[in-house]
Amino acid sequence: MATSVTPSPTLARPELAGASRSTDQVIAHRSAPGRTGRAIYLAANIAILVFLLAPIAIVFVFALNPTPFIQFPPVGVSLRWFEKFFSARDFMHALVFSLEVAVLTTMAATVLGASAALAIARGNIPGSRIIVATMLSPLMLPAILTGLALFQAYVLLDVGRPVWGLVAGHTLVTIPYVVRTTLAVLHNFDTRLEEAAQNLGASPTRTFFEVTLPLVKPGVLAGGIFAFIVSFDQFPVSLFLVSPGNETLPITLFNYLKFDLDGTIGAASVISILLAVLVVIALDRTVGLRSTVKL
Amino acid sequence: MSAGIEIAEVSKVYEGGVRAVDAVAMEIRAGEFFSLLGPSGCGKTTTLRMIAGFDTPSSGEIRIDGADITRVPAHKRDMAMVFQNYALFPHRTVAENVGFGLRMRKLDKATIAAKVKAALAMVELSGMDDRRPAQLSGGQQQRVALARAIVIEPRVLLCDEPLGALDKKLRQQMQFELKQLQRNLGLTLVFVTHDQEEALAMSDRIAVMNAGRVEQVGTPVEIYDRPQTRFVADFIGDTNIFRGQRVTVDNNGTGIAAGNGLVLELPGPPAAADGAVLSVALRPEKIRLAPKVDTLHPKHASANGTVESTNFLGGAVLYRISLDNGHRVLAQQPNAGAGQLYAPGAPVMLGWTPADLVILKD
Repeated sequence: MATSVTPSPTLARPELAGASRSTDQVIAHRSAPGRTGRAIYLAANIAILVFLLAPIAIVFVFALNPTPFIQFPPVGVSLRWFEKFFSARDFMHALVFSLEVAVLTTMAATVLGASAALAIARGNIPGSRIIVATMLSPLMLPAILTGLALFQAYVLLDVGRPVWGLVAGHTLVTIPYVVRTTLAVLHNFDTRLEEAAQNLGASPTRTFFEVTLPLVKPGVLAGGIFAFIVSFDQFPVSLFLVSPGNETLPITLFNYLKFDLDGTIGAASVISILLAVLVVIALDRTVGLRSTVKL
Repeated sequence: MSAGIEIAEVSKVYEGGVRAVDAVAMEIRAGEFFSLLGPSGCGKTTTLRMIAGFDTPSSGEIRIDGADITRVPAHKRDMAMVFQNYALFPHRTVAENVGFGLRMRKLDKATIAAKVKAALAMVELSGMDDRRPAQLSGGQQQRVALARAIVIEPRVLLCDEPLGALDKKLRQQMQFELKQLQRNLGLTLVFVTHDQEEALAMSDRIAVMNAGRVEQVGTPVEIYDRPQTRFVADFIGDTNIFRGQRVTVDNNGTGIAAGNGLVLELPGPPAAADGAVLSVALRPEKIRLAPKVDTLHPKHASANGTVESTNFLGGAVLYRISLDNGHRVLAQQPNAGAGQLYAPGAPVMLGWTPADLVILKD
């Protein structure tokens, strides 16, 4: 889950930069007590950053260290664990499979979650609060329970453990992210923009594609990014739903860990982190998250 | 191009039984600048939204050039609206905003570009095509909203307090420009405002609304000088309202006994039977003041009083005067120059012409 922290600094950078600048100005005019306060403030921030980033740094050290055990200080730099990771068919298969599942999950969660959020926000549906609570409940339940429940349901339905079943499980636990982020945007949505479009001759369908969708896009995309990352490093739900030969990367890593502990685990983790960051950057560049958010 | 609108006994009742609009009937003529004026919650915006098609009347009919459009969806009404907050599309450029309605009408690109250019020139925003709404000032956004509306050559232009967010100077300039534009294009314009000065300055006719009902429809002069109801007299400008029983005064004239011995002579033939209770309105600027030593024209009804407070408005002075018989009135005098101001405590004589008294319906 540590990787899911990455999107928020990327998304929030403009606001953060502005806020810290104004804080600087305010504090610069204060006297010594203000300076002490600022020092404490900075120290606290650094401590939090270290706390959040240190595990990731350790993983990097582990992955690059040539010895097969975690060793500190590292004795050198080598890419042997990366070579091992990329040449192992099991890992490669799991990596590709994980990506496939994550992409399918993201698509399903985005379409379903965004549609649900729109219906909840606009549909004037009785009991919509209960619907929201139900949709968000996978966030509150331990994911292992969700996995177990799905597993039992599939057994009862006698469907085995198909890939779509795994994707459905991932979708279930990722929909809340899309619903939340989309609802947040819709909550602040000025419906007069839609009225203006209709007033100028756009049919309700046209209005949706010309005005509503482009304006809720940032929320939907942010949810989609969360969905991708949560699916990509999903462990508890996958644990019950993968079938032999079709295992996701976290499950394969776990199985590997049971017998071996060497830098391959670190290399795999580094690849996972880089992939997640890559997805965020790619989405940001192609669909232009920031330009839409900033307006 | 411009069309007339008939609103026939239209009501809007919300869930829970709130009557936002109650049996409103009015006729808006083609090419007319028509204002819906009233305090917030009087139903003026709901009426406008029903004309636009955003709300559906609970009962009654809305017709445009005789055709019933009560159930026609908003996007097929061929009207344009300028919203209070402008409602510019934030994800589109100025040119795209203005061209939106033309694109929905499936015009070809060259025509759209030409019309957008002309519309932006008309509102003096040439060269702003590629800006985003967020990069414009409030006044510029207002102009874009206006250009976006008029470029489609709507049958009716609807404005929902479009100038409310502008500062006073800019507001007056935009009032002037909007009026000019409406006249030049011959637009039917329905203008919602709570600002009576704005309505008086711009409108051909005004409908004053209160609590979901139309109190009076008339020209600005009629609304101001001949208010029909107590609400209209009170809402538009400052006014003195006297209430009392109708009495017969000397020489068979009629008057109203406002209490404490104050009898106001009424104009014209008797409006009601003796003893009926009437309200009359008298505008502050229709009262003339003179120092107590002077004699006013004997024909003028008059009273004596003392200045309580002086409110200097620049071009005019508004006095709060307590009459000797206990009534309090407002009197406004033009600022005629040095030495003409009455200080608080100064004794004054008040005079007015009976013809300036307006009998009100309660």
